[in-house]
Amino acid sequence: MPMLEQGQILKTISGVRIKVEQFIAEGGQGEVYRVDYNGEKKALKWYKPEALRDPILFYDNLKTNAAKGSPDKAFLWPDAVTEKSGGTFGYIMGLRPEGYYELSKILGSKKCNFVSFKAAAEACIRIVSAFRILHNNGYSYQDLNDGNFFINPQTGDVLICDTDNIAKNGTSTGILGKPRYMAPEIVNGKGKVLPDTQSDRYSLAAILFLILFNNHPLEGSHWVMVTCMTDEIAEKLYGTSPLFIFDPNDRSNAPVRNLQISVIERWAFMPEYLKSKFVTAFSQEALKTPGKRLRELDWLQVLVRFRSDIVRCTCGNEVFIQNAATTKCDVCGKPVAVTHTVKLPGYSITAAGGSRIYRCMLGTCNADEALHPVAAVVTRKDKPGVLGFRNMSGLILNATTPSGKPKQIKPNDVIPFNPGIVIEAFDKKIELQ
Amino acid sequence: MPSTEGVIVKKVLPLIYVIDTSGSMFGDRIASVNEAIHELEPILREKVGEIPEAEIKIAALTFSSGAQWITANGLVSLDDFFWNDATAGGLTDLGAALKELNQKLSRNSFLVSDTGFCAPVLIFMSDGEPNDNWEKELNNIKQTNKWFQAARKIAIAIGEDANIGILTKLVGSNEAVIQTNDLETLKRMIIAVSVSASMLAGSSRMAGDAASGSMILEAATTNLDTDTFTVAPEVADFDGPDLMAAGTQDVWDDSGDWN
Repeated sequence: MPMLEQGQILKTISGVRIKVEQFIAEGGQGEVYRVDYNGEKKALKWYKPEALRDPILFYDNLKTNAAKGSPDKAFLWPDAVTEKSGGTFGYIMGLRPEGYYELSKILGSKKCNFVSFKAAAEACIRIVSAFRILHNNGYSYQDLNDGNFFINPQTGDVLICDTDNIAKNGTSTGILGKPRYMAPEIVNGKGKVLPDTQSDRYSLAAILFLILFNNHPLEGSHWVMVTCMTDEIAEKLYGTSPLFIFDPNDRSNAPVRNLQISVIERWAFMPEYLKSKFVTAFSQEALKTPGKRLRELDWLQVLVRFRSDIVRCTCGNEVFIQNAATTKCDVCGKPVAVTHTVKLPGYSITAAGGSRIYRCMLGTCNADEALHPVAAVVTRKDKPGVLGFRNMSGLILNATTPSGKPKQIKPNDVIPFNPGIVIEAFDKKIELQ
Repeated sequence: MPSTEGVIVKKVLPLIYVIDTSGSMFGDRIASVNEAIHELEPILREKVGEIPEAEIKIAALTFSSGAQWITANGLVSLDDFFWNDATAGGLTDLGAALKELNQKLSRNSFLVSDTGFCAPVLIFMSDGEPNDNWEKELNNIKQTNKWFQAARKIAIAIGEDANIGILTKLVGSNEAVIQTNDLETLKRMIIAVSVSASMLAGSSRMAGDAASGSMILEAATTNLDTDTFTVAPEVADFDGPDLMAAGTQDVWDDSGDWN
C-alpha cells in the first residue's frame, strides 16, 4: 500500500516543489515514486517510518551527501533531500532508464542476461571504476550487493543505486550489509565491526566473480553439502571459515561436478591472468586480513586487458584470445586469427578495431589516471581490415619506425599499424607487432 | 566460450503454511485466507520468483478433524503453485498437523534436493483452541526434528479466541506471533509475512539485527552441521584447455579515413 498519494505535494529542504506522480516499487526501507521535481521527471525514495535504525543520523548523512554532489555520473546520487513529513522523509534521484536491470535479476536470467562477455567485462570495469572514485573521495558504500546496480546487459553500462547508505569511511549508518556479500570480518563482528572501504573491497570482488563466473566465490562443495542453511552454518561459510571455491591450496570447497556446471565451464575458459587475480583476491590472507584485499586499480588493470582479449569469431561465438595469439574458436573450430598485437610493458594484447590502451595497462600509475586513454586501435572506413594506431593521450608521443627513424604522433593523429613501430608513452614502450 | 546464460545453482527455501480449517474458521475467515493466498501467487512469482539467493517452494497443510496436505506430493515450485480453496469444518487437531509436519519435514520425504535447503519458513494460522493432544506432538517435533528446530516460525492468530499462549509455544517466542481481528488486515499480513520471509535471505542486515531478527527468526541452532560436511563430493579440476597458436603478421603503409 503506497504511503504517498498521486498528486501529493512535498518540498525539498531548500523549498523546491515535488509532485508525486506514480508509485514505482517497494523495498525493505521504503518506496520509490516517479515525481515531478521542478519540471523534471525524477525518482523519489520515501522511507517507511521506523525502517531506519537512527533516522536523525541518516537524515543528516543524506543531506551532507546531497550537498556534496555525486562523485561520478554512474551513481544515482541524492539530488535533494525532502523536508520531513508524516514522521519521515525521502530524497530525489535520477530515474532508472529503459533497458537497465538490477544485477540480481540479470545473474542466471534467461530473459535479461548479458548479451556477451564483452558487455559483462564492461560492466565490471564500470563498477570498479565507480568504486575507485567513491573510495578516493573518502566514502565507503557499506552495503555493496547485487541489488545495488542497474545494468544495461546489452552494453554493460552501470548505474549504482541505493546510494543512501554511502557515508564517509569510518562512519556508521547502522547497516551491516547483505548476507553473502558481507566481508568475513563483518559477519564475525556481529554488529561490532562496521563496514568500511576494505569490507567494500571484499563485496566488490564477490560481485565481479558473480558477474564473470556466475557463482558465489565461496559457494562450492561445502555450500552444496549443507542440507539446511542455518544462520550458524552461514556464519561458518561466509565468516569464520571462508574458503574460495578455486583455492589452489585447499580444494575441499571446489565446485561440484555435474551440478555447478556454469562456474566449472567458465573457469576452464577464462584466461590465467584473470583467474590468478581472483585466486589472490580470495586467498586466505585476503579473506582474513582486510588490508590485503585487491584494490580497484589491480582490478582495472586485469579487466581492461580481459576486455581487449574478447573477440568475435565469424560464427558469432565470442572467443577469449589466449596470450594475444591466434586462438581456435571453441564452437566452430576455426582459428580466430590474431594478425596484430600491441606489446605493452607487462603483456601483449590483441590489436583489433576498437582495442584501447589505458594508462593502467602501462604499469604502475596513480589510481586517478588508471582509465585515462593512451591509444586506440582503429580501422579504415573504406577498408575495415586495415588497422591504425590513434594517439588518445592528449600529449605528443614519440615513436620510432622499424628502420629506426624518430617520428612524432600528435594528439588524436593516426599512424598506420606497422609492425616494428615503437611508441613511447609515459616513459614506457608500446610496440606494434 | 561458455554461454552467458548459465544457470546459478540455488538452495531451496521451503515456505510452509499450516492452516487451521476447523469449524470456527468457516465463512469469512477461511474466505480471507483463501483470498490472501490467491493474491499471493502472482506477488510471490513477481517478487521472489527470480531471487538469486534461493528457489522458493511451497507446501500447505490444513488441519481440522485430522490433518491433510493440500500439496500432497511435497514442495511445489512457484510456477506450479495454484491454490485450491480450503474449506472449513470440524475440530482443531493441531497435534495431528504437527505429527504430519514431523513426518514430512525429512530428507526422506518432502525435503529432497541436490543443493540443500535454506532454513524452512513455517507460517501457522489459527483462530481457536486445539482439541487433541497437541502438546505431546509439539514436544516430539521440537525435540526430534532438526528442520523444525532450524525453521523460522511465525504464527498468525486470527480473532480474539485464538490461543496466543499455544501459538507462542509453537513458534518459540511471543515476538513471532501476530494477532488480528480484522480480516482485511489478516489478508495483508499473510501476504506481507510470506513475502518478507521469502526475501529475508536477500535483505541487508542492520547492526543489532541478530537480536531483533529472532522475532521471527527463531534461533536456528542445533548441530545440523554435523551431517552437512560429511559427504565428500566429486570436485572439479581447475585447469582449462590450453589454446595457443602462432600469430601471423603483415605489413602495410597507408593513411586515410579512420573509424
